[in-house]
Amino acid sequence: MSENRYATLRRLILATMILVPAIPFYIVMGIGYYFFTQSIESSTVASMKRIVEDHRQMIETFLGERKSDLKMVAESYTFEELADPVYLFKVFNVLQNKSSAFVDLGVFNQEGIHVTYQGPYKLIGKDYGAEDWFKEVMKQGYYISDIFLGYRRVPHFIVAITREEPGKTWVLRATIDTQFFTQLVERVRIGKTGEAYILNEKGILQTQRRSGGALMDRDEDNVVGPARHDGIETFLKKNRKGEEFLYATTWLQDKKWLLVVRREEADAFKDVRSATLLIVIINAAVGLGIIAAAFYLTNTIVRRMEAIDTEKEQLGQQLVRASRLAELGEMAAGFAHEINNPLQIMTSEQALVDTIFSDMIQRGDLKESQDLADLKDSMAQIKLQIDRCAKITQAILKFGRQSEPVSKDIHLATFIPEVTAMIAKKASVNGIAVKEEISEQTPVVRGDPSLLQQVLLNLYNNAMDAILERRGTEGGELVVASGPDANGKVRISVTDNGMGISPENLKKVFSPFFTTKPVGKGTGLGLSVCYGIVDSMGGTMEVASERGVGTTFTIRLPAAP
Amino acid sequence: MEKMKMMLVDDEERFLETTQKLLARKGYDVATAVSGPEALDKLQKENIHVVILDVKMPGMDGIATLKAIKNRYPLVEVIMLTGHATVESAVEGLKSGATDYLMKPTDMDDLIQKAEDAYAKRQVLEEKIRVAQARMAQRSALEILRDAKK
Repeated sequence: MSENRYATLRRLILATMILVPAIPFYIVMGIGYYFFTQSIESSTVASMKRIVEDHRQMIETFLGERKSDLKMVAESYTFEELADPVYLFKVFNVLQNKSSAFVDLGVFNQEGIHVTYQGPYKLIGKDYGAEDWFKEVMKQGYYISDIFLGYRRVPHFIVAITREEPGKTWVLRATIDTQFFTQLVERVRIGKTGEAYILNEKGILQTQRRSGGALMDRDEDNVVGPARHDGIETFLKKNRKGEEFLYATTWLQDKKWLLVVRREEADAFKDVRSATLLIVIINAAVGLGIIAAAFYLTNTIVRRMEAIDTEKEQLGQQLVRASRLAELGEMAAGFAHEINNPLQIMTSEQALVDTIFSDMIQRGDLKESQDLADLKDSMAQIKLQIDRCAKITQAILKFGRQSEPVSKDIHLATFIPEVTAMIAKKASVNGIAVKEEISEQTPVVRGDPSLLQQVLLNLYNNAMDAILERRGTEGGELVVASGPDANGKVRISVTDNGMGISPENLKKVFSPFFTTKPVGKGTGLGLSVCYGIVDSMGGTMEVASERGVGTTFTIRLPAAP
Repeated sequence: MEKMKMMLVDDEERFLETTQKLLARKGYDVATAVSGPEALDKLQKENIHVVILDVKMPGMDGIATLKAIKNRYPLVEVIMLTGHATVESAVEGLKSGATDYLMKPTDMDDLIQKAEDAYAKRQVLEEKIRVAQARMAQRSALEILRDAKK
């Protein structure tokens, strides 16, 4: 399986795993964010508009009432009546009762001479004929001044109206304390930075501004009013320091004053900002989460696939090896069979020769001699070698035999000692002490006893070979142990104190045809066959070894149900 | 006592020739056949007591020949000679009526021993048959007497 194929697969899975959850998530987040910010912005602007509208109405109502108060006085009394200070005092008291905002009241004749005055200053007789406000009121019939701080440092403005009587025109003027509506405006507070103030048409502050700017100061921010006199304008504008404000403005008194409500943009849209920040963090976290999960899952999947492919490949190789072994067995059996026929003939020939010799000796045709003894010896040797060949062919035929394995309960506590007894003689001849550590609790296993016997004998023989190679016939020790293992398994181990296996060979001990024995001594099939047998019984086989110390083979088999 | 007559059946002619010579020297009367059909042919012509039959032969193999022999001459004792160590073919032969089996390469003394055993078995069998036949003849005589009394 090529690396390239896995790389393509990995990319495909990764892209799918990331895009499939991420695309709908970000679309939903985007739509949600858009509508949320829209809603917050429009409600913020709407609330500012409402404040502007409410305050405009209150101020307009207040100013309208004061104007109509004054108008009523002017319409109700004649110039002569109001020129009388006593009368004026009475009228002023009536006005003050109606609204404490009235500070003073004065009457002017057509030339601008202050005829009577009721208030805190001595203004009677002064000529106002050249004053701007007087000219304005004579021309328009009505005048309202900008707000100013009087001697008492209280914001005021004046309102003046004319009254036409036959043959003369006179002016009634009142000073009005603006405290009522300046406080109203100055107290406006929205969020942290929201404030309200009034400008006149020249941009002079008519009320104090909380964020800086005293009465009569010039506002440098060039705030504009709406085009229509009763409209409301909202807009964003930067001040000279570069701070951006959200403004709502409206005209008061027919474009004479401009009511401004403003709030720092950052403050007004604070919720949007924090929501945006939260959304960005969530998006980033989810994105990272998706990517991490995708990478993890992709790695798991691809690794699993690689493992399966490798397993498949190994299984295929094992099958090939197994079928080759079976072929080899069949071939060997065939050869052995073919060799048995000539061996049979040789046996007959040898027997015939023997018989002929005996007959000739009996008849006296042959005399006892050294030659005859040699011939007899030679014939005996031929018989011996034929027998030897017969043994070999029979061994081969046995190896090639393929019978169905039987499956029965094997009681290891008795079975292992039986097998061990088979090698007891060989072990004692070679000075090897055999120790058995068979636990009484060793569970019963299921399998073919002859196959398990083959496995144990193979391990014993290997162990004894290793011991002999290292120690000769002294000091050898072979330990076979068994007992219950974790997870319902049975453990059988064979340990020797032989020469051990080098690490590079340790990896190959179960490979077929791998052997360290001299040519002709080992087939290299023993351990691989053992491994196959244990595997077919549902077990595992492991080896641990240290060069110069010894080797332990451990078999783990499932306990019989 | 009648002398045992053997027949060797094998496709290896040299084996037949040598073994025949050897057994003749030891005083046995031995016929040979290189195939199943030839063996059946000789059984018809000669009175043969024991057949030593190779399992693996070209054409008609040992098992088929055995079945044919047992079918036609049930009293003939057959010893199977197998080149295979597998007991399966021997077992099959025994099931089909063979007396015993030998494994190649077989020792000549073993071969003679088994042939003698088979012949002895046949002798016992023939003896039993003779006794049974004699009884039948006797009973017939008694029956005649009994009938006469009536």
